Amino acid sequence: MTDTNTRQEMVLGNEAIALGLVEQGCRVATAYPGTPSSEILAGVVKYKKQLARQVYTEWSVNEKVAFEVALAASWAGLRAAVALKQVGLNVASDPLFSAAYIGVKGGFVIIPADDPGPHSSQTEQDSRLMALTAKVPVFDPATPAEARAMIENAFILSERYEVPVILRPTTRLCHAVQSLPMEVTPAPDGEIPSVKFNKNPTRWAATPKFRYKLHVELNKKLADIEAEFNQSPLNYVVEPIQNPKPVLSGAQRAQVEGSKIQNQVGVIASGVAFNTAKQSLLELDAQIPILKIGTPYPLPQKLVGEFIARFETVVVLEEPDTCIELQLPERSRIRGRLDGTVPTAGELSPEVVSTLLAEVLTGAGYKVNPSLDDVELQTLVNSLPLPIRKPRLCPGCSHRSAFYSLKKEFGLSAIYPGDIGCYTLGSNLRAVDTVVDMGAAVTMANGFYQANRLVGDSRPIVSTIGDSTFLHSGIVPLINAVHTGARFVLIILDNHTTAMTGHQPTPANNYLADGSEATRVASIPNMVRACGVNFVKQTDPYNQETFQEILRDAYNHSQAEDGGVAVIIADRPCVLYDPSSVRDDPLPVVITEECDGCRYCVEAFECPALVLRPDKTRVDIDYKICVNCGQCIDACHKGFIIPEAIANEIPQTVASEATL
Amino acid sequence: MINNPKSEIQNPKSVILAGVGGQGVLLISELLARTAIAAGFDAKQTEIHGVSQRGGSVYSHVRFGPQVYSPLITPGQADFVLGVEKLEALRFATYVKPGGLIIVNDYEIIPRSAGAAADSYPHQSIDYLKEKGLRVIDIPATKLASELGNVRVANIILLGALSKQTSLPQQVWLDILNQRVPERFLAINQRAFALGQEAVSQPVAV
Repeated sequence: MTDTNTRQEMVLGNEAIALGLVEQGCRVATAYPGTPSSEILAGVVKYKKQLARQVYTEWSVNEKVAFEVALAASWAGLRAAVALKQVGLNVASDPLFSAAYIGVKGGFVIIPADDPGPHSSQTEQDSRLMALTAKVPVFDPATPAEARAMIENAFILSERYEVPVILRPTTRLCHAVQSLPMEVTPAPDGEIPSVKFNKNPTRWAATPKFRYKLHVELNKKLADIEAEFNQSPLNYVVEPIQNPKPVLSGAQRAQVEGSKIQNQVGVIASGVAFNTAKQSLLELDAQIPILKIGTPYPLPQKLVGEFIARFETVVVLEEPDTCIELQLPERSRIRGRLDGTVPTAGELSPEVVSTLLAEVLTGAGYKVNPSLDDVELQTLVNSLPLPIRKPRLCPGCSHRSAFYSLKKEFGLSAIYPGDIGCYTLGSNLRAVDTVVDMGAAVTMANGFYQANRLVGDSRPIVSTIGDSTFLHSGIVPLINAVHTGARFVLIILDNHTTAMTGHQPTPANNYLADGSEATRVASIPNMVRACGVNFVKQTDPYNQETFQEILRDAYNHSQAEDGGVAVIIADRPCVLYDPSSVRDDPLPVVITEECDGCRYCVEAFECPALVLRPDKTRVDIDYKICVNCGQCIDACHKGFIIPEAIANEIPQTVASEATL
Repeated sequence: MINNPKSEIQNPKSVILAGVGGQGVLLISELLARTAIAAGFDAKQTEIHGVSQRGGSVYSHVRFGPQVYSPLITPGQADFVLGVEKLEALRFATYVKPGGLIIVNDYEIIPRSAGAAADSYPHQSIDYLKEKGLRVIDIPATKLASELGNVRVANIILLGALSKQTSLPQQVWLDILNQRVPERFLAINQRAFALGQEAVSQPVAV
């Protein structure tokens, strides 16, 4: 692997994007974490250190902030980029639309990672459609290598036309691993270019009158970009290696005698769907030309029109929605999502693509390889009740302790608005009833309070939100809730990090994206007080009794005459982020042999380390994953889960060992 | 022994690796892809991160050969399905192609989700696959790993078994293992890899 002139390295798609940014002289890179985009900024940090390039990197408090910080750097003349997930672009959509009109100076690349499937998102939305609405050009890479290379195209286009540009990867690219040459493109300039922000209020602070002018200018830019895309090497036709030889029945042959049967079917594909289409056509042994579109917006109409004119039928494959197809002025030959040929939801997996291509091709008189899929086996396996593995909170997770207390205190009748993060899994403990988007735990509680008041519903409302999510978009809703007199309990599950996406720092951490020290650290309790909340208590959810007492106090405050929103900060670090808190103060437990397998603890506490035996006779502790937090003791109301130290003092009680 | 793996592998080989979060599915996927690349092939891999890491099913697609367009594998197209857990092997069994091979760890991790799901674990899944006429190698990898002193190397035992079924050179496998495994775990991983190779030294029952 290292024996040739060019050193190759296995690189994650997101790291390939990061490498492209660093080698192309990106000077400011910002992000808010979100699967599948999270490794992009981490990659920028890695490569800026490796290549000794000066890049300012920032985990911003949310995507709107990330977008604007990078935008300002571009206006100051530097190359800049912002990385986020597709729903993060929703959060940043306000500056996106405005920036498209105003334009940029230094190359500005927006990288929203889409999630067809969806694998880890609340929607399957297509960022290319957001781009189409905002009028921002899009690059749509198919592989990590292409994504890295397209960063250069994106910066150059952005600077040439002074427009923001989107590079849109999808999960299967972000999380694909490919071998890449590590030979790095030299930076356009060794040092920071000597540029600076030039005042020009009619542009940078344009009033509506000038906005009209900017809109006209943007339209002109897009027309020029479309013309450029018609010539771009990023859009090309992959002609089949052999001449197409469709095998026809006699009747079919007669029907198409002397006609253009060899040009019956063509494929237009972009992004990861291009790879899948190529692989599927190979497996089907179908010699079909593919038009690969690397720039789906603005669509190179001339190129696409000429390609379509060659065929009777053209299949359009793109994810997760229609962008190319939607821009086609005439769709009578087009088979895609809009006519129902391509499914309108879900990932374009190879089986989906193979099946639909085989159908279209067979219908057009081609003979394709039969599917190797063992239908009988598939039917049998599908008919088996294969249990799914639900994601669960980790053993020792402090969220579990908080949820357990919450449920113990308020029961199942309370309304539990939840939020986005690991603690969304509180739904497993039936302590999360609603999940909308970042920050909605606070707004939904506010709305439920007002609605319930009108209809006389007096159920307690208890919301949960993480520290990173609270900082991201919980503060403004909290101001609103306090000001409008809402009454509910808000629990900020503060595990000291952005856990779900891989432990990125928040403004409440004392370090920054590249590991350097943050001199000013945000205090969550002070912020809550500043929102006007009079009841603010910070406590460790591991102290279950105290936590439950505070829950009662908080609820009473929310109901008192002079009360309002009550906030509890459940303060305990994520066990994966900081295992020391459990390691240094362990409370190993055992389950006594009296355990009768009633499975109460398994359901009420829902810890992966509490395992019901297959014969249901008892519950064992899986010591391979147990972290000795001792939090489950209370979860056996019969008292069969006891500290190991106590078990050792009672010789007659034989502690059960894990048998797993 | 094959001297020139390139002449041996004309068509891309497709491998699905599946297991449960924490079993090291992604590590052995990476080792496989790196070995293929070091042996001079094109290789691509794709996996799913995120919520699945919290105790869910984890799977990865690896394809290697002279030229690889996409790592994503269609049901009925995989040369190998490697299951680090029985249920997960069964879940992906439909991906194996006729004549392909399923390598499975004879080890169960019962989904801990409460209720009916836990009751429906298909304990007989290996027998079931064999009855279907599929080529299945079952190895008690977790048990063997435990005897070696660390259950975590079960994945490497299975990788060793897989290595005997591919035409990738032995030395390249070992080089990659040496490069990627931290030094303090190297010895046990090397033993695990060898153990996996020994486990399939007998002819495969069809």
